[in-house]
Amino acid sequence: MTTSADLGPSPGPQVVPARSLPRPQPTVRRLAGHLRIPLMLSPSVLLVVVLFGGGMLVGIGQSFGYFPTIGLEEWTFEHYANVLSDPAFLRSLWVTFRIAFIVTALSSVIAVGLALILRETFAGSRITKFIFQIPLPVPHLVAASGFVLLITQSGIIARVAAGFGLIDRPSDFPILVFDQAGVAITLTFLWKEVPFIGVVVLAVLQSIGPHYEEIARTLGATAWQRFVHVLLPLIMPGVISTSIIVFAFTFANYEIPLLLGVRSPTTLPVLAFYRYQDPDLGLRPEAMAISVILAIVSVALLFVYRRLARYAVQ
Amino acid sequence: MTHVKLDHLSKRFGPVVAVDDLGLVVEPGEMMALLGPSGCGKTTTLRMIAGLIEPTSGDVLFDGRSMLAVPTERRGAVMVFQKHLLFPTMTVAGNVGFGLRMQRVPKAEIDRRVAEMLELVRLPGVGNRRAHELSGGQQQRIALARALIVRPRVLLLDEPLANLDANLRIEMRELIRTVRMETGITSIFVTHDQEEAVMLADRVALMFSGTLQQFGRPAEFYERPRSVEIARFFRNPNTIDGVRSGSRVTTAAGEFVIDPARAELAEGPVRITIRPEDIEIVGPANGAVNRVPATVLSNIYMGTRRELIVSLAGAEWHLQAPVDAAFGEGETVTLGFAPEKIWLLKPDADGRETGVQ
Repeated sequence: MTTSADLGPSPGPQVVPARSLPRPQPTVRRLAGHLRIPLMLSPSVLLVVVLFGGGMLVGIGQSFGYFPTIGLEEWTFEHYANVLSDPAFLRSLWVTFRIAFIVTALSSVIAVGLALILRETFAGSRITKFIFQIPLPVPHLVAASGFVLLITQSGIIARVAAGFGLIDRPSDFPILVFDQAGVAITLTFLWKEVPFIGVVVLAVLQSIGPHYEEIARTLGATAWQRFVHVLLPLIMPGVISTSIIVFAFTFANYEIPLLLGVRSPTTLPVLAFYRYQDPDLGLRPEAMAISVILAIVSVALLFVYRRLARYAVQ
Repeated sequence: MTHVKLDHLSKRFGPVVAVDDLGLVVEPGEMMALLGPSGCGKTTTLRMIAGLIEPTSGDVLFDGRSMLAVPTERRGAVMVFQKHLLFPTMTVAGNVGFGLRMQRVPKAEIDRRVAEMLELVRLPGVGNRRAHELSGGQQQRIALARALIVRPRVLLLDEPLANLDANLRIEMRELIRTVRMETGITSIFVTHDQEEAVMLADRVALMFSGTLQQFGRPAEFYERPRSVEIARFFRNPNTIDGVRSGSRVTTAAGEFVIDPARAELAEGPVRITIRPEDIEIVGPANGAVNRVPATVLSNIYMGTRRELIVSLAGAEWHLQAPVDAAFGEGETVTLGFAPEKIWLLKPDADGRETGVQ
């Protein structure tokens, strides 16, 4: 439709199914053509913009001290200054970054390793592949609860270990949940994110096929050289795009550190929520400031990461 | 230059026998074709030579040394695939220099040898381009350069002329010939196309369902096929059964005079075969030794010639005629051919199509 209009009154055969119908003016048609997709998308876009964008605007307003409900109408950077000079905030920022970084790095490495194993055909490889993908549809909340049941000192593993006499009492089991290092948080994230990256890498590996490696092999490349020089560059785009998602997700995730982490230092999203929940409504702007900083930092980190990753690929 | 020997080589995949007791010798510097229909085991054989799959039994020897314990990456048998030609993540120069980088050759030398190789495959100056920016034929040449740069002991090619149109085929064929003259590398290639095998190879190994059928110079497959199937694979469907007595063979279509020097079979039942291009349609004045009447079944225009299908006492024969041959369906013609063009096969090779009931 648009092409024949764009071409204008061109000579030569044109397929016009209904010549008798009055044809709209070309400009109108072109406009309608260009606007059709945005128009069709507008209901859902509008919903997102109003609900999400509206909420965001209110939040940003509150973070700058504009909170008419409790009588604050003065725009100020005061809350940002408070937050940024608060040692609890800086500790949380570091904890959040550390967890997100460790989870992203570990899950990428483990996922690539597992995908390399899972692409081979072996006895039970199909069922193994299925098991590998089980964590994908499990909600993070459920995963976190599962880990609580499994690896706390009163959890299943501790009891079984005590029952078999591996440890004297369940309480001798190492503290993995509500620990300062965030072991349980990291493990739960890994359990969820490894299959996510792994499934994508596996699909990429399967579409690549064995031929490039075979060529490299006949040309004298060792197993490690084949991985570094042939396979890794081919799967890197898949690893990068999924690990960006994992990083962003881990950085902003709230339920896992809330359920499995210590109260202090906790991650930024949890810290923001504590402030938000505080009976003192005066802390609300600080919660919003934390959220805004969280968003800015995570976008900035993603930007840097993408740049670095692209540079590394080339 | 490497001498390659396949010694009682077999490969089974579960109950399927892909390659069965294959024995072959490729002389140093020779170009050998592994020819056969798809699924005949030729690619499996190539992969066993490269070491990409292990034989079930038998041995692969380079210069008399068993290669079974030598892993692919140290065998020096470089493979050039038909598809998946170049590494998409590297430039053309990166592709060509790949093998040398793996050997940690100094960069200056790599650059020099890459330039040399690009010159050899007549694509100088494309080094900085990406693989996908080249045409299919160019990619194939770069793949060849990438293989040759490591100075392989054996070059393994998978359908080197497939996927190329007629002009590129000739160009590539000439290139492979030049390269072989300059490098003298022992080469083995796999193909399902008898034309490709004949154009490129010094010797051809024909395989059907995992078994070697015939091994020899290309002309032997035309002049002296060992079975009806081999003759058919080389586009000679013409056979008729008869009984040999000295230099004469009696068939349902009449008596044929043969050249005893070309008849390796003993007296008795034989099967006669003559290539389509060796048969002429003769008039009464022509003094051909063998004159046989046949009925025209169809006369197909092929552009530069005509393909005639005739019935010879019930057997379907193909032959070629000039473009202006205007024989109609049902017309009777006389086929003429020289005794030395007749080749005798064993009659029991194929029981279905017989001229003599």
